[in-house]
Amino acid sequence: MAPLISRRLLSLIFVIFSITFLTFIVGSLAPGDPILVMMGPRRDPAIYENLRHQYGLDLPWWQQYFNYVGGLLHGDLGMSYRYQGRSVNEILGGGVGVSISLGFAALAVSLLIGIPLGILAALRQNSWFDRTSMITMLALFSIPTFVMIPILRAFNYYVLYKNGLPSLPPAGWGTPAHWVLPVIVLAAVSMGYMARLTRSSMLETLRQDYIRTANAKGLPQRRVVGVHALRNALLPIVTVIGPAMAFLVTGSFVVESLFAIPGVGFIGVQAISQRDYPVIQGTTVVLAVAVVVMNLVTDILYTVLDPRIKSEG
Amino acid sequence: MATPEAVQLAPAGNSVLMHRNRHGFWWRFSRNRLAVVSLAVAILLILLATAGPLWYGVDANYQDYDAINSWPSSAHPLGADSLGRDTLARIMQGLRVSLTVAFYVELITIAVGATLGLLAGYAGGHVDNVISRFADMLFAFPGLLFAILIAAVFGQAVTERFGGIGRLLLVAGSLALVSWPLMARYVRGQTLTLKERDFVGAARSIGASNGRIMRSHIMPGVIGLIVISATLDVAAVVVNEAVLSLLGLGIQPPDPSVGQMIRQSIDYLETNWTQVLFPSLVLTLLVLVFSFVGDGLRDAVDPQSATHAERSNAPPRRRLSRSISYPVALSVVHML
Repeated sequence: MAPLISRRLLSLIFVIFSITFLTFIVGSLAPGDPILVMMGPRRDPAIYENLRHQYGLDLPWWQQYFNYVGGLLHGDLGMSYRYQGRSVNEILGGGVGVSISLGFAALAVSLLIGIPLGILAALRQNSWFDRTSMITMLALFSIPTFVMIPILRAFNYYVLYKNGLPSLPPAGWGTPAHWVLPVIVLAAVSMGYMARLTRSSMLETLRQDYIRTANAKGLPQRRVVGVHALRNALLPIVTVIGPAMAFLVTGSFVVESLFAIPGVGFIGVQAISQRDYPVIQGTTVVLAVAVVVMNLVTDILYTVLDPRIKSEG
Repeated sequence: MATPEAVQLAPAGNSVLMHRNRHGFWWRFSRNRLAVVSLAVAILLILLATAGPLWYGVDANYQDYDAINSWPSSAHPLGADSLGRDTLARIMQGLRVSLTVAFYVELITIAVGATLGLLAGYAGGHVDNVISRFADMLFAFPGLLFAILIAAVFGQAVTERFGGIGRLLLVAGSLALVSWPLMARYVRGQTLTLKERDFVGAARSIGASNGRIMRSHIMPGVIGLIVISATLDVAAVVVNEAVLSLLGLGIQPPDPSVGQMIRQSIDYLETNWTQVLFPSLVLTLLVLVFSFVGDGLRDAVDPQSATHAERSNAPPRRRLSRSISYPVALSVVHML
């Protein structure tokens, strides 16, 4: 267990180095002189040099990188070009909580609906319930995220609102009702995938010898399925939580900007249109590191759940 | 569609000698009705994008002020958008953009990813280490994040200097940056297994050069894998390009792209829902069709070839998520 975690931590360091290094390189190759843009028409060489020094842009690039990483180690993402005097931390800060809670809500919904649905479908293999639920799940994970948005909004408007039924706000943030549509959109793809994966994994597990043994011993079905089968059937699900998180990150850009949710993705998109490179870099680093750490957690969780990995890995 | 069950039930084939089965490759492909229909639809969509504008000679950027947000009619078969532009003409143009971007992405992915993968797998040692670590660096970014970063940082400058074509190539390049490491990993894995086969040893023993072994003994074994991965990747690229457009990083207005059309028409959903329906349908169709054709090709070549390659050297967590085709979220999920 310990060597596995230390190896994973080493690869985590490599991954975080890659992310910060590539992000830094791209940022420093960015065309245009940010200081000139910042100063506008006033061209005072003294102020120019002063600002360059303040942002550390007068140093050689490798020193800039070390300063950047040094700042990151202290949790400092640098200063915004666009808003003088505001740090990237300050700009992103408000969005992190929103994005994290939205992401976890979506993950929770996809797990809490996807897994039970998959189990039920597996237990009633080839029944109408199995067929309809699995076709629905297939549709959910085949429809691209942002085709899902107009579908849900059309349903909300034409079916609910027009008929005077209680409807949801189409965009915005603040009340619990604002959560419903974005969470459904974000959860849909992973939910569909997890339900289908749970079903096939459950079917596979139920064919195993130890399940037959458990049944032969006369254990109640509930116990056989709930204890003996479920633990093993859920292993593959743990493996897709990492990829699902990565999917949520890309999804958050789309969902947050289309639903006007003030999360990290939304701030990132705004920074893109304002060409505020430090904020774009900060967004990339924060999101990438979040996913990488989540992956580490699922890896460790996986070894805890499946003791075979320890000897193998 | 290769569901997990399908992958398991499919008979294990020979991943190298794909033509040695009882029936030919095309026979097996043609037995897969979904894949054949998808291929037909894919060809139809490609025709619509290329020959469509010749046959339907309406300017995609012409604004008909009498037709703003209009419903499908004889003047505008699929209606018109919020600026009075003909939706059918824009869909054809947008499709052309999506497919052109996908074409360039696959071109780069194959040229860079397959070549480096082949090199890494065949040469091994330091070459392999350098290439694999570099690919790993790009793998570190979840999903589209790196493509978003590149397109955001260089987008404006490239458009100013090189115009629309430059922008299109930048979009393709940034998406290829996300796609090639996976291709390299697949090809590397396949090359590693092929390298150990007896016929390669035999060729070497009679004095065949490295170049010759690569060309006539390794290449034929990886070409199928390359075609399949590229086809499956098209589905992902189409969505990714749409995501970039949606974030304002793709093809710039007024030139249409499918993602952009969806983005613009969402705001008029309450006025005229057909305007968001058609581009959404086309996008979904494009994605599904390419995934089904890719799945069909893979099953016809060998049910396990596409998944076999990375089995040997991927950590356990990755095995399952890679071995199941994930049509839409494909690239996003494959990033990790």
